[in-house]
Amino acid sequence: MAPVVTAERLTKTFRVKVRDPGMKGAVQALVRPRNRDVQAVRDVTFAIEPGEIVAFLGPNGAGKTTTLKMLTGLLYPTSGRAEVAGFTPWTGGPECKRRLALVLGNRQQLVWDLPPEETFLLNRAIYDIGEAEYRERLAELVGLLELTEVLEKPVRQLSLGERMKCELAASLLHRPPLLFLDEPTLGLDVTAQEAIRRFLIQYRDRHGATVLLTSHYMQDVTALASRVLMINRGRLLYDGALGALVARITRMKRIELVLGGGDGGRVDAETLAAFGEVKSFRFPNAVLEVPRDEAPATSARILAALPVADLSIEDPPIEEVIRRAFAQGLEEEGT
Amino acid sequence: MNPMRMLAAFWRLNLAEELQYRANFVASVLGTVFYMATALLTLALFFRHTTALGGWDYWEIVVLLGVFNALTGVIEAVLRPGIGQLAGEVRSGELDLVLVKPVDPQAFVSFRRLDIWRFADVVLGLALAAYALHRLHRVPSLAQVATFGLTLAAAAVVVYAIWVALMSLAFWFVSVENIAVLFDAVYEGARYPVSAYPGALRFLFVYLIPIAWTTTIPASALTGRLRPGSALLAAVVAGVVFALARVLWRTALKRYTGASG
Amino acid sequence: MSWTRRYGALIRNAWLIDLQYRASIVLWMLWGVTEPTIALGIWWAIAGDGRIGGYARADFARYFFAVMLVNQLTIAWDSWYLDRWIREGELNFRLARPLHPAHEAVADNIAYKARTASVILVVWLIAAAAWPAVRLPLAPGRWAVTAVAVLLAAAMRFFISFTTGLLAFWTTRATAIMELHAGVSLFLAGRIAPLSLLPPAVAGVAGVLWFRYMLAFPVELLTGAVYGSDAVLRGLAGQIVWLGVWIAAYRVVWTRGIRKYGAVGG
Repeated sequence: MAPVVTAERLTKTFRVKVRDPGMKGAVQALVRPRNRDVQAVRDVTFAIEPGEIVAFLGPNGAGKTTTLKMLTGLLYPTSGRAEVAGFTPWTGGPECKRRLALVLGNRQQLVWDLPPEETFLLNRAIYDIGEAEYRERLAELVGLLELTEVLEKPVRQLSLGERMKCELAASLLHRPPLLFLDEPTLGLDVTAQEAIRRFLIQYRDRHGATVLLTSHYMQDVTALASRVLMINRGRLLYDGALGALVARITRMKRIELVLGGGDGGRVDAETLAAFGEVKSFRFPNAVLEVPRDEAPATSARILAALPVADLSIEDPPIEEVIRRAFAQGLEEEGT
Repeated sequence: MNPMRMLAAFWRLNLAEELQYRANFVASVLGTVFYMATALLTLALFFRHTTALGGWDYWEIVVLLGVFNALTGVIEAVLRPGIGQLAGEVRSGELDLVLVKPVDPQAFVSFRRLDIWRFADVVLGLALAAYALHRLHRVPSLAQVATFGLTLAAAAVVVYAIWVALMSLAFWFVSVENIAVLFDAVYEGARYPVSAYPGALRFLFVYLIPIAWTTTIPASALTGRLRPGSALLAAVVAGVVFALARVLWRTALKRYTGASG
Repeated sequence: MSWTRRYGALIRNAWLIDLQYRASIVLWMLWGVTEPTIALGIWWAIAGDGRIGGYARADFARYFFAVMLVNQLTIAWDSWYLDRWIREGELNFRLARPLHPAHEAVADNIAYKARTASVILVVWLIAAAAWPAVRLPLAPGRWAVTAVAVLLAAAMRFFISFTTGLLAFWTTRATAIMELHAGVSLFLAGRIAPLSLLPPAVAGVAGVLWFRYMLAFPVELLTGAVYGSDAVLRGLAGQIVWLGVWIAAYRVVWTRGIRKYGAVGG
């Protein structure tokens, strides 16, 4: 299948004012303002197939939102090309816009003082949705997102989670084949986050929509994305499956121990350190980190040498892997 | 915590914030100069067709405009950015953040923010009044200047009390977040001496919404129109209005904490 | 057909939002009414029992009542909205929709004006019942021409306000520029006095620029100060020319603004 989104050497440079904090900085900026060019996105290239759910990973300011804004036509790149649903997004005009939806976790299109249904009706008119289609799609979205109760309450009375669900419903009434989500679960509680994730997968399965999202929550990424694009300081560092990323970043495995036996008290951190790096130790629980390929052998040695009640081998937690990847820079470790 | 230290901390933050926007000072002064020019031209337009307005001649009213402008400076620098935000905060619930602070809420709400650039308006206003006095060939006596100081302070208190009263009303009319507009609408009337208005408007400005006391009286003190007794009366009016506003504020606050707690 | 539906939905939305803020809107209106009231009060005092430039007390009363109504029908707050949309990033989702954001602004104007002008009209009718000075002669032809002039003035003020608001792409002072314009229009548009009371040179400038056509001209049509097909047609022509100029200005500023926005973001 032909890709539905392509980016080719996308680059975006901003000029920003810089100033030091505090009174001194304020005065300095007053007298002599300084500018600096910031490369928000540099030479980013990728292609996304229809029906994929792809997550952008990266710390704040990495260039995720800027990339998303270029793909939705809100920003023009400094250089490079992009094609979205057959259009160049920043020149595509209404026909291109009809094919996509943009949901921003920190900005809302719902009218604050009116029930969400009013915004839905507005979007029905803006996107030229026929009466029958509108009813059918609304019924579907209301069912999937469990919105029956909230349709007639003013938006200001809705919880954050309910608002985001309505925001999604409003953005999907025209059934766009492409969905861009910027931090869709921002600030939501765990139940609401899960509901949104469940919905996104169902929606993709039903309509074959392609979803690009950014999120700070690793659960979003692990639950949703078949593929991740890792960005830091504007550069695309990794493009591929999440599992492969973890394997590539970390050559380590974790051995989690529960020590047992009456004389288990004799085991101390020093003894453990002989087997690998001690990540945590509070009797009777201990966590060691060892190189991936040595994990089985080391486990055997531990079982032989120590009074062990339980032992398991795991990958390090994903948050930590990602954090470490950004801290170290992927290139050095990965290649 | 010492309330003064707390306010000082807020003002410091304010100052640092304001200094970031170097263009603000220039823009603020330009805005004021433009605004004053508009007022003077309006006055000149009226005086193309008359020689006196409510018994005041051109330069006497310019003195009044100077006073008006000085008071506007106080309003814009202190009241609007401070207590003027209250209506919105009642609506959004941010007021709770104020109420948990261990200080008198009225004092804190009133003086927490200073838009320092707007103090330039006070200087410009007083300068305009001084220039108009010069054109009138009048040098106010020390007693007149003292009376002016007293009545101007009383005027500031009246204006402050009106703001407190309006913002207290915001507790009842939560949906009216622009209640400050009510002040702007009425305060427009203070640009001219109260004697210039037809009877109904005059009654409104003297007794119902006492803005006549804010500009007409201090300007009269400078131009030597004021009877000594009136100055004392102005001080008394200010005291009464302030007390009424304080009572209204307390009632409103009691209602708010009762309703939300 | 789809446009009627779109506008129907947009106006409905704007109407419902305004309904939520009806108390606030009354206050804004009150503010809009104070200025002509105070001006009327002062001119009332100056006129006394005589006439000034042809205006007696009753004429002033009629003039400023007409100013209230026409101003309410033509005023446009769009520069404030655009300034906020641009600064707060609220323009983003509006640009991501297949509908030019100006349509939302137009619909908003229609809803707002229908509401406020009808209130002023009711107030005027009540006042006219009690106070003969503010009654207007029944002249359907004049009212029809006034309606056209008001429409043109409203369109022009919309484009002025919208275009000025777009300056927020470049400066944080777009609304200050709008206030500057409001200050000048205080005199040149006839808000503080009928243009005929201004020094002739100033009144001349008002007629050459767009200011007279945004308020004073429709007001004078309504009060009958402008009459005769020659003067009326010349006024309408002036309105059309300046409307055209402001539409052109809007197109230039919009195109460049969007290009700038796309280059640096919100």
